[in-house]
Amino acid sequence: MDRDPLAEAGLHFDELNKLRVLDPEVRQKTTELREECKDFVDKIVQFQKIVGGLIEHVDQLAKEAETEKMKAIGARNLLKSVAKQREAQQQQLQALIAEKKMQLERYRIEYEALSKVEAEQNEFIDQFILQK
Amino acid sequence: MRLKTSLQKDKHKELVCCVGWTTADELYSCSDDHQIFKWNLLNNETTLVVQLQDDIYPIDLHWFPKTVGGKKQSLAEIFVLTSSDGKFHLASKTGRIEKSVEAHRGAVLAGRWNYDGTSLITAGEDGQIKIWSKSGMLRSTLAQQGSPVYSVAWGPDSDRILYTSGKQLIIKPLQPSSKALQWKAHDGIVLKVDWNSVNDLILSGGEDCKYKVWDSYGRQLYSSALHDYPITSVAWAPDGEVFAMGSFNTLRLCDKTGWSYALEKPNTGSIFSLAWSADGTQLAGACGNGHVIFAHVVEQRWAWKSFEITLTKRRSMQVRNVTNDAVDVLEFRDPIIKASLSHSHLVVTTSLQCYVYSVKNWNTPLIFDLKEGTVSLILQAERHFLLVDGAGIYVFSYEGRLVSSPKVPGMRTDILNAQAISLSNDTVAIRGKTDEKVIFLFDALTGKPLADGKPLTHKLEVMEIALDQCGVAADRKIALIDKNRDLYLTSVRRFSREPIISKIGTMVHTMAWNDSANILCAIQDSQFTVWYYPNAVFVDQELLPKTLFSKDASEFSRTPQILNYVGTLVTIRRADGSLVYSSVSPYPAMLHEHTGASRWNDALRLCRFAKDQTLWASLAAMAMASKELTAAEVAYAAIGEVDKVQYINYIKELPSKESSLAHILLFSGHVQEAETMLLQAGLIYQAIQIHINLYNWDRALELAVKHKTHVDTVLAHRQKYLQDFSKKETNKRFLQYSEGVEVDWEKIQAKVEMELAKERERAAGRTLPPPPFVEPVLFQPSALWALFTRPTLWGQL
Repeated sequence: MDRDPLAEAGLHFDELNKLRVLDPEVRQKTTELREECKDFVDKIVQFQKIVGGLIEHVDQLAKEAETEKMKAIGARNLLKSVAKQREAQQQQLQALIAEKKMQLERYRIEYEALSKVEAEQNEFIDQFILQK
Repeated sequence: MRLKTSLQKDKHKELVCCVGWTTADELYSCSDDHQIFKWNLLNNETTLVVQLQDDIYPIDLHWFPKTVGGKKQSLAEIFVLTSSDGKFHLASKTGRIEKSVEAHRGAVLAGRWNYDGTSLITAGEDGQIKIWSKSGMLRSTLAQQGSPVYSVAWGPDSDRILYTSGKQLIIKPLQPSSKALQWKAHDGIVLKVDWNSVNDLILSGGEDCKYKVWDSYGRQLYSSALHDYPITSVAWAPDGEVFAMGSFNTLRLCDKTGWSYALEKPNTGSIFSLAWSADGTQLAGACGNGHVIFAHVVEQRWAWKSFEITLTKRRSMQVRNVTNDAVDVLEFRDPIIKASLSHSHLVVTTSLQCYVYSVKNWNTPLIFDLKEGTVSLILQAERHFLLVDGAGIYVFSYEGRLVSSPKVPGMRTDILNAQAISLSNDTVAIRGKTDEKVIFLFDALTGKPLADGKPLTHKLEVMEIALDQCGVAADRKIALIDKNRDLYLTSVRRFSREPIISKIGTMVHTMAWNDSANILCAIQDSQFTVWYYPNAVFVDQELLPKTLFSKDASEFSRTPQILNYVGTLVTIRRADGSLVYSSVSPYPAMLHEHTGASRWNDALRLCRFAKDQTLWASLAAMAMASKELTAAEVAYAAIGEVDKVQYINYIKELPSKESSLAHILLFSGHVQEAETMLLQAGLIYQAIQIHINLYNWDRALELAVKHKTHVDTVLAHRQKYLQDFSKKETNKRFLQYSEGVEVDWEKIQAKVEMELAKERERAAGRTLPPPPFVEPVLFQPSALWALFTRPTLWGQL
C-alpha cells in the first residue's frame, strides 16, 4: 500500500478534514478507553459507597447488639439482685411481723388478765347479791 | 409506744460515724467525708459547719455536758472529736478546732466527758484508756489491754467507768487501788456500751447480734433474741425508762427491762451511733449510707380508771374515756416531755410550761411556766404533785401554786427515779444518793425536813421507797425494800423516838400502796401478797401474817413490776412487757373507810357479812390501834385468839384510864412506853407489876428500889417464881435485897389491894359519876363458842 506522506510526517486528517497529529483510529481507541475508564471509576466509587454503607450498617448493628447484650446482662443481674432484695425485704417484713406478733401476744395476755378480772368481779357481784 | 422516724433529703457523701445534740432541736453530725453538719429541726435546715482537713477521719463526738448540778455552764460550748489518726480534738460550736491532742497509737475509738465535765476519757485501738483534764492535759492511763477498746461509758457518779475488752465488759473504779469487775458479756466482740445514771443499768450490744441489759454488779437482766446483723449502737434515754438500739437497717425502741416496744426498718445501712436529746424527746442515728435518721416517741399511753391517754404527735394527745367513748384532743405549743395521769389529774410538761388538766374538764388546763426546761420526773399525790428537774424538786398544788421545794444538800436531782423518791399528801421522802441507807424526809407543805432534819437510816442500802397515801399525817408510814429484798415498814413522823423499822416481808421484788386506802401490795418470791393493814405490825406483830392475802404469782412470770394499785385493781407489767391485772377484794378498802371514820359498828357488820378471817384480823388490829376495845374483842374472838380476847377483857376491867392505855401499849409489845405512861401517872405499883408479869425481874426491882416501894412485892414474886421452877437465887441484886426483907404474902396482898383501891379512887375522882365497880368476869370459852355457832348472838355484842 502506498504511504501517505502526511501520515509519514505524522499528520492525519479526520472525518471533518481537520488536521490531526494522532491517528484517528488510535484516537478513537483512546477515547473509548477513556470512556471505559470513566465507567470503571464510576462503578468503583459506587461500589465503595455501597460497601461503606454496608460497613456502617454492620457497625451499627454490632453496636446495637452490644448495647442489647449489656442490657441483657444488666437485666439478668438486676433479676438476680431483685431476688436478693426481695429476700432482704422479706427478712425485714419477717422481723416486723415477729415484732407485731410479740405485741399481739402481749395484748392477748392483757386481754386474758382482764377477762379474768371481769369474771372475778362478776362472781363477786353474784355472791354479793346472793348474800344480801 | 413506737418511734416515728424521718430521713431528711440532705445527706453526707460518706458514712456518718457520730452524732451529738446541742439543744433539743439542734444536732451535729460528723462523717467520713470530713464534714461536720449542723441539723436544725425547727426550720429543717442543714448547714455545713466545717470542712475538716483531709487527714481527719472522725470517729466519735461528745458534747461537753451542759448543766452541772443544776447550774448552767458558763463555759463556751465545746465538743470532743476523736479521729482515726490517734488524736482527739476539742472543737467549738463554730467548728473551729481549739486544740488537738496526740492521745493514742492507732485510732481513738471513743471519747466521753464525765457528768460534771471535769474530765474526759478516751479509749483507743491500742487498748489504752486515758483520762484527760477539761483542757486536754493527760491525767492518767487508767487501763491497758491487748485488744482495742471499742466503747466506754461513765458510771452514774462519774467514779467508775465501763469499757469493752473483746467479748468482755469491765467496770473499773477510778481509785487506783480498787478492784475492777470483769465478766464475759457476749459471744462476739462487744461494740457499744451505755450506762444510765438514773436507773444504774448497763446496756451492751455486740457482734453476736444480741443486746443485753445488766445491772451494775454485772448480773444479766435481759438478753435479746438473735438479730440478723451485729448491734452497732445502743443508747439510753436520759430518764432511763427506754433505750434505743441500732443495727443494719434496724432501729428498735426498748423498755429498760429489755423487751422491745417497737421495731423500725428504715433504709439507713448500719446505724453506727445513736444519741438522745437531753430532754429525751428526740433520737438521732448516724447511718452508714450518709443519712442522719431522726426519731421521736409517739403512741405512749397513760391509763387511769376509765381514761386512756395517747400521745398522738409530738405536740398533741388524745384523751379517751372508755366508759362513754368520748374523745378529747389536747394540743400543746411545744413538744411534750413528760406526762403523768393519776388522782383525777393529768400533768404534762413541755420544754417551757406545765399543763394541769382535771379529768372533769379537758378544755381548760391550768398552765404555768417552768423555770428549768427538762422535767425528768413527775409524781402525783391526791392533793399535789411533784416535779423533778436538774435544778431541784418542786411540789405544786393542782392549782399551779408552788407549795414547797425540798432540798437535799449535795444531791444531783436529775438522776432521781421513781424508786428513790416518794410523795404523799403531807410528806416527801427521798433516798440518799451517796449513802443509799439514808432516807431524807420532808414536810410536803413547807419543804422543811421532818424530825429536826435527822434522816431515817436503815441498816442496809435501800432500793425502793413508797409512802402510804391516806390517813392523817401523824400516821404516815413508809415502806422500803432494802438490798436483801426485805420489805420494811416504819413511821415517818416519830417524835424524837428512835424509829422502829419493822420487817413485814421478805424476797419482795416490787410493791405499791393503794391510792385510796393504806393497803400495800407486793410480789413476794412467787406469791402476790396484799397487806390489808400493814400497820398491824406495830399493833400486834403476831397478827400481821393473818392480815395478809396472798395468791400464786406464777401467772405474772419472772420479775414482774407492779405499776400501780388503783381502787381494787393492781396493774402489773410482766418481764415480757405485757400488762396483767389482778383484782383485790373491795372489802379491806371499805373496812379502812369505816374504821377511819370510827364507824366501828359498820366495820363489824362488814366483817360479818364478808366472813373473811383476814378481814377480821385486820379489823382486830385496826381496833386495837384506835384503842377501840369492844370492836377489838369481837374481832379477836372471830379469829379465835382466845388469849387476846381475855387480855382485852382484862384491860376493859382496869380501873383507870392510864392503866388501860398502858396495857394497850403493852398489848402491842411497847413495854417501855407502857412503863413511862404508868410512871408519869404515878402508878408505880402497876409499873412494877407489869415487869413482874413479864419476868422482867431486874427492871421491877430497880423501879421498886428507886421509888422505895413494893420491894417486898417484887421479892415475894421472885421467890415464888424460883420455887415454882425449883431454882436457886443467883441474881446478886436480889440476894442483896432479900437480906433483911421479910416476905409476908398477906401484907403484900393488902398493899396491892390498897394500891388498886387508890387507883380506883383517883379514877373515880376524875370522872363523874364514878364508874360502877365491875366484878371481874372470868372468861368463859363456852360463851365464845356460842358466838361462833350462833351468829344471832353477834348483835348482842
